[in-house]
Amino acid sequence: MLRNAIAPALLAAGLLLTAGSAQAQCKSFAKNKCVPGLAPYKFNETFNGAQLSPGDEAEVALTFYSGQEYRVMVCVHQILGEVNWKLVDQNNRTVFESLADEPKPSFDFKAASTTQMKVVVWVPERKSEMTHLGCVAIMVGFKE
Amino acid sequence: MLHPRKLLLPALVLLLAACGGGEQPKDTLQNPDADSLAQSERQSRTKKIFYSIPSPMETAALLKKAGASYNSKILNDVKNVDTYTAASKQALNLGVYGADLSYASVFNHTQESIFYTSCARRLADKLGVTSAFSDSTMQLMEQYQNDREKLLDIISETYWDMDRYLKVNDRENISALMIAGGWVEGLYIATQVARTNPSAELKQRIAEQKLSLTDLVSLLDTYGEDETLQGVRTDLKALSALYTDVQAGGGGVTATQENGITVLGAEGGAATVTDAQLKAITEKAAAIRNSYIN
Repeated sequence: MLRNAIAPALLAAGLLLTAGSAQAQCKSFAKNKCVPGLAPYKFNETFNGAQLSPGDEAEVALTFYSGQEYRVMVCVHQILGEVNWKLVDQNNRTVFESLADEPKPSFDFKAASTTQMKVVVWVPERKSEMTHLGCVAIMVGFKE
Repeated sequence: MLHPRKLLLPALVLLLAACGGGEQPKDTLQNPDADSLAQSERQSRTKKIFYSIPSPMETAALLKKAGASYNSKILNDVKNVDTYTAASKQALNLGVYGADLSYASVFNHTQESIFYTSCARRLADKLGVTSAFSDSTMQLMEQYQNDREKLLDIISETYWDMDRYLKVNDRENISALMIAGGWVEGLYIATQVARTNPSAELKQRIAEQKLSLTDLVSLLDTYGEDETLQGVRTDLKALSALYTDVQAGGGGVTATQENGITVLGAEGGAATVTDAQLKAITEKAAAIRNSYIN
């Protein structure tokens, strides 16, 4: 019985020890694979990303300033496949939506007024025995 | 199959038990995740909710666009760098010098940019964040001191690397203090510039900081009762109270098309701040910022 209790704990301890490494890999992935996709917009230097698995959801609150042009991009590691994401305003109305069946990697716009919006990402459930965990990065670029 | 997340709690308990431990120094900002179950709860809560605070570079670029001028006298004195011995002050002033560095760089004051980079590097060394500021970073900055775009890219990269290092190494409270210090310095610079040049656009940018302040307070709130962040949180909540009646714009969004570009407008209209509100915010921002740098 003790062995039964220790085995999952040791496995989980291993997972914890590798969590930092996974996060580092996620940031490296974002830096190397996602930042170039923001060009010609300038990356806003803020990393919003996490390791997600099917069924998971993430959201980021973002402020967009009037007079600036922006690119919002959701960048996903291929192991996860395509994800759904949308940009919603403070009244929870959808401003832009990209669905896994018809993905659009980024949304460009000009902010006529300063506003706060949320990017909501959700990973579709898959019919698979394997639970994949992959990096999802929500990136913002702006034009000076 | 057991989902990995179901295994995290027992593993954490096991690890905590194994760590045991004597008393931690009060202000060292060592890895806090090893000694608090609340930390693990914070991590699981924040795993999927993020608060994005404008970077010092983005804020400086907005100030420049708003017609702000450059005034080196309002920045933190480089001589102060060796007076910061407490880890919390070092982290806050890493943010302060980072904001000063961005301000100097965006306004093309290269020599001062290099001084502020040196200050940031010294504080990063003291905090053990050495990997972000290698000798090659300094050499590259000197090499490209006349190439503004390249210089801004190097600074952006350094900020990214530092933030990445802190988060990956479970020192997120240092990252939070650095972000808070940088944000306060950005507001301080904006309000000080507005004292001599209170243009409508600059005042609007100051009013809009209500939005990022709300996010910053929310970010700090995710750290629960972390002692090292309590003072900063109290400061920001006091500042937030002064922003209560400031009209910050926002609200619902309407989308239109102009020459093939999507233009998003907010139904809340433009942000505005009254002279009395601006005076109170200016004074409070200065008091908080001065308490961080002195």
